[in-house]
Amino acid sequence: MRRCEAGEAFENNTLKTLSGTMREAVKKTFRYAASFLLIVTLNFAIPRLMPGDPVKNLIGEDVYVSEAAMEQLRAEMGLNRPLYEQFTAYIGDLLRFDLGYSYHLHSPVAEVLRDRIAWTLLFVGVSVLLGAVLGTLLGAYAGWKPETKANRLICCGFIALSCTPPYFLALLCLDFFAFELGLFPFKGYYDVPTPGSVIHHMFLPVTVMALFSASRNFLIMRGSVIQEKGHLYAIYARAKGLYDISILFRHVIKNASLPIITLLALDFGFLFSGALFTEIIFSLNGMGTLIYDAIIGKDYPVLQGSFLVIALAVLLANMLADLLYAVADPRVRRPTS
Amino acid sequence: MKHRKSFTGPELKKELKRCFIYSVLLIIFCSNICLAEAVGTEDSDENLKASNGGFFDRIIAYIKGLLGLEEKVQSSEAETAGMQQSAGTEETVLKIATPNVIKSESMMGDYYMGIFSHLSNPPLMKMDSEGHLVGQLAESYDVSENNTCWTFYIKDDLYWSDGEKVTPEDVEFSIRYYGEKSPSAGWINETLESSSVSGDNNSVTFKFNKPYTRINLEFATYMIMPKHIWGSIEKPLEYTSKGPYVGCGPYYLKLVDLNAGKLVYEKNPYWKGKSPEPKTVEIHFYSSVDVATLALENGEADTYYKYASSYPYTGIEQLEKTGNFDFIEKTDIGLIFLAPNLKKAPLTDKEFREALAYAINYEELVNLETLGYGRVPNRGFVPPTMENFKETEKLEYNPEKAREILEKAGYSDSNGNGILEGKDRKDIKLKILIRPDYARTGELLEEYLEQVGLDSELRSVDADTWYTLKDNYEYDLTVTRTTPWGMLMHASWGSGYFDSRRTGQGVMHNLDDPEFLQLCDDILATTDPEELEGYSSELQDYYAENLPGIPLYWNKVVTPYNRQFEGWYTDPLKGIYNIETFLNIHKV
Repeated sequence: MRRCEAGEAFENNTLKTLSGTMREAVKKTFRYAASFLLIVTLNFAIPRLMPGDPVKNLIGEDVYVSEAAMEQLRAEMGLNRPLYEQFTAYIGDLLRFDLGYSYHLHSPVAEVLRDRIAWTLLFVGVSVLLGAVLGTLLGAYAGWKPETKANRLICCGFIALSCTPPYFLALLCLDFFAFELGLFPFKGYYDVPTPGSVIHHMFLPVTVMALFSASRNFLIMRGSVIQEKGHLYAIYARAKGLYDISILFRHVIKNASLPIITLLALDFGFLFSGALFTEIIFSLNGMGTLIYDAIIGKDYPVLQGSFLVIALAVLLANMLADLLYAVADPRVRRPTS
Repeated sequence: MKHRKSFTGPELKKELKRCFIYSVLLIIFCSNICLAEAVGTEDSDENLKASNGGFFDRIIAYIKGLLGLEEKVQSSEAETAGMQQSAGTEETVLKIATPNVIKSESMMGDYYMGIFSHLSNPPLMKMDSEGHLVGQLAESYDVSENNTCWTFYIKDDLYWSDGEKVTPEDVEFSIRYYGEKSPSAGWINETLESSSVSGDNNSVTFKFNKPYTRINLEFATYMIMPKHIWGSIEKPLEYTSKGPYVGCGPYYLKLVDLNAGKLVYEKNPYWKGKSPEPKTVEIHFYSSVDVATLALENGEADTYYKYASSYPYTGIEQLEKTGNFDFIEKTDIGLIFLAPNLKKAPLTDKEFREALAYAINYEELVNLETLGYGRVPNRGFVPPTMENFKETEKLEYNPEKAREILEKAGYSDSNGNGILEGKDRKDIKLKILIRPDYARTGELLEEYLEQVGLDSELRSVDADTWYTLKDNYEYDLTVTRTTPWGMLMHASWGSGYFDSRRTGQGVMHNLDDPEFLQLCDDILATTDPEELEGYSSELQDYYAENLPGIPLYWNKVVTPYNRQFEGWYTDPLKGIYNIETFLNIHKV
């Protein structure tokens, strides 16, 4: 009888947990869907709120074009239509996976993005990954033993790096390693499209970006580990006789890495928006310069397409971060009662 | 309490072992460097110089060796010894650094690619060093008396890089193609009535529906394209390709590589004219001017080119120190000017503008903005390098005189607050609209106006807001610039910037004085050089007297070039980037 009651209670609890999880999942799906719709609307609105006329911009400064010709061009670009019509056309195109046609780059936006994203992922993606690994490991170690001279020195170095504007850091590295020492080239992804040339060209920009990314991760991880190592579970682990390395990498780092997961999710957006200043210094054809040029040239389709990709990437990264949070921290998995 | 570290037997052994290993590694490293240097000296005399350097140099050379950059080491040393990498070999490569970044692989769609491609697809006409328009692909041209019919006689020895002959049909096709397909050349479509070609005298005739006197200038900007290639391309602006593109100039465009940041031009194998010396011309584009200047200093390029702009004045001294560069200095036909809003009081008052002209310290502007690479302009606006320049009175800084003119014209400070009042008895407060490029000039202007009792408000805005406010005449004064093409457009001599009948992003279109408009129409109605000279003189006098724009300084275009090359040629429209340069350039 008692066993039967216990079984019922267990079933009830399981059902409650399941329905709670479902409710959470539905809530989250609704939240992401609403965010996506808002993003799509803002993507359309923001470029059009900027001052300036895309048609005049396309024509140039010193060219005289009659009003009739300007109107014809405006009609060809669909900019003479009322805003709501432009919006419905934009949504219609999106549903057909058509991101439009760039006014200035004379190519379908999807093609332009595909080319730029591939290179940006190579450049920023590698930097973010390296920065995450380097920053997390060094930060964890520095947080575990903050009093050692080496860690203090590393800490000072990373603080200095995180305070240095990336533009200046990139220019400094270029000046020293490319100009003074002549070890690296000044620009581009390659001279000839071979892996060797790409690695040679990418080394400096990736290093700069990785250092910059590592400095942020380092400082956050260090602070987080310092906080975590004072908790009872860490002291208990030591009392149990575990080695320092085991306590740090098996127990502390798991809890300390929660802020890093958030930061990585934010970096994911950065991954797709490129690193404008570093791209400018190293003359790299990436997403950063693409968006910058599109803003200057009022290239609405490119702006809409780029913003959409970035927004989707950030949404996806946030979803992943939610999942990783649940893996790293069991408290997140428990549904709120 | 500190404990002194003391080594016990096994620890001491361990430390000694470690020291030994480090010493051996260090010795291997140093001997490697020395060996590498020794081998290098056998291979090349150039490396002797490197090996004579300090130990640090050797380490760098060694690292470069490890990275497989030996060739670059040698070339880098050669660069410092006179940049012989581009000048001392049989197959010379001319490298040009530019901040004019190509954004799309579209020859007709990308603005800067179009400019650079004048090397491979030259226009019919060109400008010589004196600013005269002469034939390029055209041997000569005729124009009918009523200026509606233009006939261009095409040179007979021109061939496309695929071996086909350049025909008048190609020229006719190109001009019509631009008119139909390019929005900025829409005027061709609107005014071209008919066109015909003649095989007998290799000519092409364009008949316009109204007199058109500036065709020779307009046709100095449109590339000539091969009909047999582009005829099948329905949307040329959207046509993108990495190359090769068929061209009829001394070079053809072999490769466009945006990810490497370069355009590569190779010699046209069918070019029958004077043979150019460089086998290859490479245009390397840099997103940052600072990096472009560093690359130049480092010998990565032989010259620097930015359309309608100079090499940064701040970088000239540094480049001079390398000892590898000389400089061409030419006064630009574009200029920086103060544009008063001619549709709004008190700027509608000629006396007020006259006083403004005396309130500005031109010497200071020249020193601060051009670092001495400029000069105080004349009232006649037009710079001396422009065809039919007329010497008018030089602008003068005289704040006392400015104040005197203002008071005489009825602008007085009756309430004694130090600010002059307008004719409506209210304090004058001028709104100065400034683009980020001219922020410092704006601040200086604010000071100059204050000195003569004029209050002002500086409004710094981005380029797009500037266009909008300027087109809505929501300003009193603004600072802007003219480009070489801008000075030539419309009725030339900068008239296109003022004529109220025109529109455009860079133009002020605020002058509707019938005298000025008539002058423009007169210029537009003639092709006679003598008449044009007379009208240009009248126009410059008009500028000097009425000051619709107050020039702030005439600046120089400074172009650095590798001393190993000579034969550089400049024209007012495109600077050094013209076919004459590429045909004449040779190693010293």
